[in-house]
Amino acid sequence: MDVHLVPLLALLLLLASAAAEPAPGILVSRTLLRDRGLEVGDVVRLSADPRGAGAREFRIAGTYEPAPDPSRFTSKRYEVRLHLPDLLALQGGEAEGDSVGAVNIALADPADAEAYARELRARAPGVAVAPTTAGDDAHFLVIERFHLAISLVTVVGSTAFLLALMVIRADERREVAGLLRLLGVSRRRVLAQALVEGFCIAAAGAGFGVVFAAATQGAVNAFFQWRYDTTLVFVRVTPAIAAWCVALALPLGVLAGLVASWTLLRRPVLELLRR
Amino acid sequence: MRPLPFAWRSLSRQPARAVLGLAGITVVGALLFDMLMLSRGLLLSFREILESTGYDVRVTATDALPGLGPPIAEARAAARALGSLPEVADVVPVRFGSVSVRGADGRTASVALLGTETRRRGEWRVLRGSDLVEGTEPPSIVVNRAMAQELGAEPGAVVEVATVLPAQPFRVAGVVEFPFETAGEASATVTLDGFARAVGGVAADEADLLLVASRPGHGAEAAVAAIRAARADLHPFSTEQVLERLRQGEFSYFRQVSFVLSTITSFFAFLLVTTLLTVSVNQRLGEVAALRALGFPRRRIAADLFAESALLVGAGGALAIPLGLALARVLDAILRQMPDVPARLHFFVFEPRALALHAALLAGACLVAAAYPALLTARLPIAATLRRETLS
Repeated sequence: MDVHLVPLLALLLLLASAAAEPAPGILVSRTLLRDRGLEVGDVVRLSADPRGAGAREFRIAGTYEPAPDPSRFTSKRYEVRLHLPDLLALQGGEAEGDSVGAVNIALADPADAEAYARELRARAPGVAVAPTTAGDDAHFLVIERFHLAISLVTVVGSTAFLLALMVIRADERREVAGLLRLLGVSRRRVLAQALVEGFCIAAAGAGFGVVFAAATQGAVNAFFQWRYDTTLVFVRVTPAIAAWCVALALPLGVLAGLVASWTLLRRPVLELLRR
Repeated sequence: MRPLPFAWRSLSRQPARAVLGLAGITVVGALLFDMLMLSRGLLLSFREILESTGYDVRVTATDALPGLGPPIAEARAAARALGSLPEVADVVPVRFGSVSVRGADGRTASVALLGTETRRRGEWRVLRGSDLVEGTEPPSIVVNRAMAQELGAEPGAVVEVATVLPAQPFRVAGVVEFPFETAGEASATVTLDGFARAVGGVAADEADLLLVASRPGHGAEAAVAAIRAARADLHPFSTEQVLERLRQGEFSYFRQVSFVLSTITSFFAFLLVTTLLTVSVNQRLGEVAALRALGFPRRRIAADLFAESALLVGAGGALAIPLGLALARVLDAILRQMPDVPARLHFFVFEPRALALHAALLAGACLVAAAYPALLTARLPIAATLRRETLS
């Protein structure tokens, strides 16, 4: 049974390993073991009372990494796992008989979770039933939407930047474009050249962006994993995300090149040559 | 001609370029402004909610956040002991629980239940009906709008808490708004005796939290010190201490996201203006050389460039504020869809500090962006440039 032992930590006392009777074993989370200077084999005292009343001895049988939880990654995971009878005994008078706070159920077919929860709610109205995936998905969805919205804003800003660059670039080549037009090269041909150029710039930029993100994702993850002492993965550049970035960048690059060149090419040839 | 009008003429010579540059800075500036609002928004919003209750100290049994640790035993005696301190004006015990409630028409709902004493400050706001009272039979209950709507629990109706056997009836005294209620979540408050009846297996004289109001003139910190001295087994936190703890822990992710994005957007603004000015200068090298040859000092040319940068960044930064405020509403609405977020909590909160930082960061970007093109013009060989321009 997973117990949040933040309240009990004040009472976690390290004792000498020698005990008259072997104390029941517990598992201690990695963070708790490290931060409190504990070791596997140590005997500790746990109490359900903030003042330490009714403390019992337990032996640390091992350590474990709590399952990463996106909704709790900012909190320290100070946890221990006890055998259920040990926990009930520790809670003493508070527990009525062999009552438990929650029961985890593994279904033969996980796809039946919603239907099973509905049926159980109908049969036992006083029992709260929730499929285990429900809560975390909602957090993920919101964070995903938030990051998507910020991405869209940065894309708009980047597009303005790209467009400004392409306008500058087109303006720099105004006389060349004028000369080409004077030599008989059609607008379509000059425009096609600008399109290819825009495509190449956008492809190079998108490629560099994806490679940069892929190369630095390890550093970003390492920083946040260090900061929050978790094994959660914060950034992952997947092929789908890379493809999405490229698919967004290429049309924008081509469009920026097209718009910038068209503003130039629609002018009369003599104006392009500044005559 | 002074630098600013001169810069204006330089920009208006290339309107498309200037408008695009302005658009880029406006969008980037809006994002920067939003990130600055996000960096402290949660804390400001949370402080406003905490202070609206009228209590400035929270006391728990351990250093865990309220509701996550064990309850305070003998809570009424503890409340009396703390209430007798000269630094303390008021103490209220609070219990948290979760129950299943059945309405008069048989519909049931999961309800977040609070047990406390009758209202003395801003614990909740009565919207319809009357307030919570002690000693009635059946016990009184005040419910939020979500619960009233879900179970048809209007004032005067009787609902049953079905989590215990036999089910316990409660009469709805009023519909209220709780400071920390989450959107759409059914919440209710009963008296401490009512709570013991509604939630099976809890001792009547326990509290998850003691809400303490410090006496005017003493302040929250003095009350915290007095409580620590009087009851070493309890853990008091002032509002400031609670907020600092949240800043370091639970709220730190958004602070870091805002820091990273603020840095990136400032850099982006700098890059954009640097590029525009550098290209602009490169295209006007002949003009700059001619001005220098006519006796314009380097300082004056640099001043023109800084003025051009200031015009671009200043106008973009000013336009970014209304756009940023509009964008913040959209982003805030997205984040507030997160589960268990109080309906009154906001992620993006405007404060003058954010505006000042926004201006300072953009001013920094403006100065740094103009530095490189200014250096280019300062090092420009006048004769060679003029000769090259004449030949071309």
